[in-house]
Amino acid sequence: MSILVGNALTQWFGRELALEGVDLVIDTGEHIAVLGDNGAGKTTLLRILATALRPTSGQLQIAGLDAFRERRRLRHYLGYVAHSPGLYPALSAAENLEFFCDLQEVSRTRAEEALELVGLTSVARRRADQLSRGMQQRLAIARAILHEPRLLILDEPDASLGDDAAELLTQVMSGKTVVLATHDHALANRLCPRTLVLRHGRSLGTATRLHVVK
Amino acid sequence: MNPFRVALAVARKDLRSEWRTREMVPALAQFVVLALLIGNFGFQIDSRNALTIAPGILWMALVFAGLVAFGRTFAAEREQASLDAMLMTPASPVAIFAGKALAASVLLVACEAVLLPALTLFFGTPLSGEVVAAVLLATVGMAALGVMFAAIVARVRARELLLPLLTLPLWIPFIVAGGQAVQSAMGLPGSYQEAIGLLIDFDILFVVLTSLAARFVLDE
Amino acid sequence: MNRAERWAAAAVALMLVAGAVIFLYAPTDALQGPVQRIFYLHVSAAIAAYGCFAVVLLGGIVYLRNESLVADRCARAGALVGVVLTTVTLVMGMLWAKPIWGTFWTWDARLTSTLVLWIIYAGYLLVRRLAEPGRQAARIGAVVGIFGFVDVPVVHFSVTWWRTQHPGPIIVNDALPAQMLATFLLTVACTLILAAVMVWMRYRIETLMDEKQHIAEPVKVVTAREPEPVP
Repeated sequence: MSILVGNALTQWFGRELALEGVDLVIDTGEHIAVLGDNGAGKTTLLRILATALRPTSGQLQIAGLDAFRERRRLRHYLGYVAHSPGLYPALSAAENLEFFCDLQEVSRTRAEEALELVGLTSVARRRADQLSRGMQQRLAIARAILHEPRLLILDEPDASLGDDAAELLTQVMSGKTVVLATHDHALANRLCPRTLVLRHGRSLGTATRLHVVK
Repeated sequence: MNPFRVALAVARKDLRSEWRTREMVPALAQFVVLALLIGNFGFQIDSRNALTIAPGILWMALVFAGLVAFGRTFAAEREQASLDAMLMTPASPVAIFAGKALAASVLLVACEAVLLPALTLFFGTPLSGEVVAAVLLATVGMAALGVMFAAIVARVRARELLLPLLTLPLWIPFIVAGGQAVQSAMGLPGSYQEAIGLLIDFDILFVVLTSLAARFVLDE
Repeated sequence: MNRAERWAAAAVALMLVAGAVIFLYAPTDALQGPVQRIFYLHVSAAIAAYGCFAVVLLGGIVYLRNESLVADRCARAGALVGVVLTTVTLVMGMLWAKPIWGTFWTWDARLTSTLVLWIIYAGYLLVRRLAEPGRQAARIGAVVGIFGFVDVPVVHFSVTWWRTQHPGPIIVNDALPAQMLATFLLTVACTLILAAVMVWMRYRIETLMDEKQHIAEPVKVVTAREPEPVP
């Protein structure tokens, strides 16, 4: 059963076409990777799927709801890790998460659980701007899963995670429907049975366990 | 979650960040003292004319400190991409907006706490509860408008240029009524009561309007 | 000549008629002399400008309600024409004020609020130019347009309350002779027609610019099946 149906998603930024008529159907529980070079439209597509950006044209349904008119009803459902972590630099790792626990209406104990899952318990009291780039990325992932979303949108989470990226992501992704943007083909193949390839804002179609021809 | 608690959580988060970094308040305080200094050179103030000129300098300093304070509130949020993250949560945009406005006005009040005594110290104007009340009442409405336009220009190029252009015309009523209130509180002719009443009316009008508009400004 | 050009020509012709009536038909003011003839166009331009800004206000409200691109284009067109007409009002007012009041400018309620009006809608045009074209610019514009419209009476009121020396509206006063009143009403009507034609032309330009930037009406989504409840 499909949880997400995107239809002819198109995004213009001024006179620049960032995404051109991308169709996408994702089944419940599926893990799908989005591959493409820089500027291929990965971030734009993921922002649209996360309902953080309304496309110029095209339709998007998530869980049978119109993703833009019923955006508020979908918020419990969606978790999104953006390209930049977007943390509060002066707050500690734990405070960053506790603030979002309040906004997500979940108990603050979820902050501890999430920190443990991403392996940051030992630096929970450290200020976010004193964490390494990889730790900040983990913290951003922890923030996106506080409310245990069913659908997780990850924009290049592996960029600075380091060697154990795959293990961490496997753990985070288990039991959820996931869209993962990356340019690491090996990682995409390992984590996601199906891959969507973008080039110059166009979908080159999806393939299972593909070997992408460059 | 209760929107009041969301607003408080957002304000607390902003103020905690400010407390840790101590970026804004010291800069703003220094800024208003500088404004007084420049006012002094621009006007040749002495004990005879201080009372007529000081209120004007007070509002000049406050307006420009306000522009800096409010301009920063959303610029920082956007740069960190964290506003997007906040808007992805079920918290209402109006509550988030109110929290940001609350935090920004606390910062501005902190800078008023420097400005008003400094005005008394340098120009010998009386510092009374009436002056403080007028300035605080004006701060409420100015914060509502200032934070809303800061949110608007945060998404636009050349935001430093646009914020004063959009905000200052809407602040004029507060400066007219607040200026009159401060003048009469300092002993110049004019009705203090009437000016304060007007300030309260403007506060109510613009706080309601900005709350209605916040949804459209913040939501994607 | 297409339809738009015919309308434009008609509007210009009407303004020339109004000009002829102002200078040839209307009597010379006993106190102020010929300079009083500025009054007709000065007040007409102000009325037409308010009309344009009302279009911006309504366009903004309609846009926020249903994202109608037509409403937004009307607002954009209204703002531009309104700023032009406000400029005309201000310049003519200053030219009139110099010989009569002895100064180009005085800080009374009507002058101050008209200047604020001009600044707000000039700011509106700037925001529209600097914001990312499309939905974002339209929303921002709608909010600025609505606040601007609310601000003008408030500024006017607060400055009146503060001090005033501008003559109030004298149209309904008996002091305005019938010939002057007729000239005034004709000029107002012609100016309003000119403003409407200008807004319409600008609307067409905005439509073409939108097409160039691929801004189109949002596609209305038809949900094929009943939405499942979100757990």
